[in-house]
Amino acid sequence: MVEPLLDVRNLRIEFPTRRGALVAVDDVSLSIAPGEVLGVVGESGAGKSLTGAAIIGLLEPPGRIAAGAIKLAGLRIDNLPYDDMRKIRGREIGAIFQDPLTSLNPLYTVGQQLIETITTHLNMSAAAARTRAIELLESTGIPAAERRIDHYPHQFSGGMRQRVVIALALAAQPKLVIADEPTTALDVSIQAQIISLLKKLCRDHGTAVMLVTHDMGVIAETADRVAVMYAGRIAEIGPVADVIHRPQHPYTAGLMGSIPSMVEDVERLMQIDGAMPRLTAIPSGCAFHPRCTRAIDRCKRERPDLMPAGTSQAACWLHDTNSLGRAA
Amino acid sequence: MAAILRDNSPIGQAESAGEIIVKAEGLAKYFDVSAPWLNRVLERSGRQILHAVDGVSFKIRHGETLSLVGESGCGKSTVARLLVGLYTPTRGRVEFFGRDLAEMNTAAGRSLRQKLQMIFQDPYASLNPRWRVEDIIAEPLIAHGLMSDKVKITARVDELLHQVKLSPADRQKYPHQFSGGQRQRLSIARALATKPEFLVCDEPTSALDVSVQAQVLNLMKDLQRELGLTYLFISHNLAVVHHISDRVGVMYLGKVVELATRQLIFSAPRHPYTRMLLDAIPDLEMTGRSRTPVAGEVPNPLNPPSGCTFHPRCPHANARCRSEVPALHVVRQADGIAEVACHAVEEGRI
Repeated sequence: MVEPLLDVRNLRIEFPTRRGALVAVDDVSLSIAPGEVLGVVGESGAGKSLTGAAIIGLLEPPGRIAAGAIKLAGLRIDNLPYDDMRKIRGREIGAIFQDPLTSLNPLYTVGQQLIETITTHLNMSAAAARTRAIELLESTGIPAAERRIDHYPHQFSGGMRQRVVIALALAAQPKLVIADEPTTALDVSIQAQIISLLKKLCRDHGTAVMLVTHDMGVIAETADRVAVMYAGRIAEIGPVADVIHRPQHPYTAGLMGSIPSMVEDVERLMQIDGAMPRLTAIPSGCAFHPRCTRAIDRCKRERPDLMPAGTSQAACWLHDTNSLGRAA
Repeated sequence: MAAILRDNSPIGQAESAGEIIVKAEGLAKYFDVSAPWLNRVLERSGRQILHAVDGVSFKIRHGETLSLVGESGCGKSTVARLLVGLYTPTRGRVEFFGRDLAEMNTAAGRSLRQKLQMIFQDPYASLNPRWRVEDIIAEPLIAHGLMSDKVKITARVDELLHQVKLSPADRQKYPHQFSGGQRQRLSIARALATKPEFLVCDEPTSALDVSVQAQVLNLMKDLQRELGLTYLFISHNLAVVHHISDRVGVMYLGKVVELATRQLIFSAPRHPYTRMLLDAIPDLEMTGRSRTPVAGEVPNPLNPPSGCTFHPRCPHANARCRSEVPALHVVRQADGIAEVACHAVEEGRI
């Protein structure tokens, strides 16, 4: 077994309020091997973006890591001082966010932003950094890169801007990229271009990716493994084909069934009644039990941890070996 | 009472053989996006006209769902707004039950307006945050003077809430007390208040999570069957369109480039743009498979390419495509008829 590049253990993220702490992410453990693409899916409020933000140390106060540890290549990074974390961010971990317009500074040219990133993290002269910046822009498929490097972000279209953001994220050749909904703001035809670009560049450089999205289609196409999150916890984690075609957790099964298919004709979509619970009212036991059609008594009382289920791991009592008869 | 009568109407009418209730003919909407007069004089620049919708024609039969798909800026939402009279067309006309929609603002046309309603994309912006649910849903009833008796209005609101699977107890609540999916149900309840025949749905599920989207789509299909509704469904999500539509129109830069039954669009797409769109969709079946992404982006609609606006991205473009604008023409296929605006298809090159 290769040593994981990123190892998150029992991560818990809290938001302190006057009426006690709200737990947004609870007991999340995951690891990413070098060069691996881990997809993280879930509906809004599942805690997927917060998990990503915690890893790059960009959790916005008052949100804070209340427990757990994040290790990058064996080194603990969740408790580093601000300045040390700045050196890791961009150098070791790159970030791509949803909105390409807000992740670029509108007052600086694309080139200035790229050169700044390169000279900050790599020991390079300004001239060498500019050459490297042009190379980066070319590798992300921006036409006429020597000319475009002196343009401002507003002069680029949405798809082109996202290419610039990818170039920025990969500028210092990080080992890990956190991509938070990188294609959500883009049109489908552009989305396809960006996904294949991200896949190609990361494969070429051996960069591991944590791809956070709500779009199962993007995950299906890109990820090696996928973690399904629900109400701040991982409901199921496993190889992408297994999770999609043989979901082990009732929530994953419902999620897959509610995605309209372009291949089959169904009169009604499978639907999960109700909505994700609010953070202030997370149900006891398994947080999914009020919406689950297969819930048993135990689900209301005890909270399940991840347990082996086929080739995946699922946090569901149906897979508990002691009640195996019920699961089958 | 009327709702009970509707339930007794034969469901078979909801087939595509129904009468044509909406007809758009050469519909166009231009927006003047010029700089202010002084700037134009100082910079010696001319007026800039955005052709948001440029000559769109279609018919919708009773009980069917026509979907318009396309990428952002293709004019699909503008068509939706033209159809409910939120915009007045620059050219062309919309007929609704054989009457011109332009009459709608006259006193005689008011009854027409009750028959068509709209559901908007953003369930947060389309409900007044300071109004209670009962006021929001009763508003169309009062505005159209359909009901004035408080007891009757309350009964109708309860009935509508029940139809969209919310509880009558929700009547007293404010919009912020509901989740996104529930708010979209409120929008649907409000749209149904005047017992419309035709609903224009502008991306009704794109702000929702997939499991909630499934709830709303199921509800919309149920309501269509129960009430014999006709939908114009606007979406950029092809999977959703595949699920809900009877016929699909694909739009590109203000024009419909292909119009056909759902089966034909998805199984035998003819226009190169439709093929490209279908190819670009990531699908659950495609685990690990890489697909060939399409090059290029949607051109600036202020300065669209000459001829067929798709030609810079089209692998089949030739000199004719660059100079001559293709019109929709009928293409007969083994299992149906499609309308396609493409020179290459017309000439039999593809």
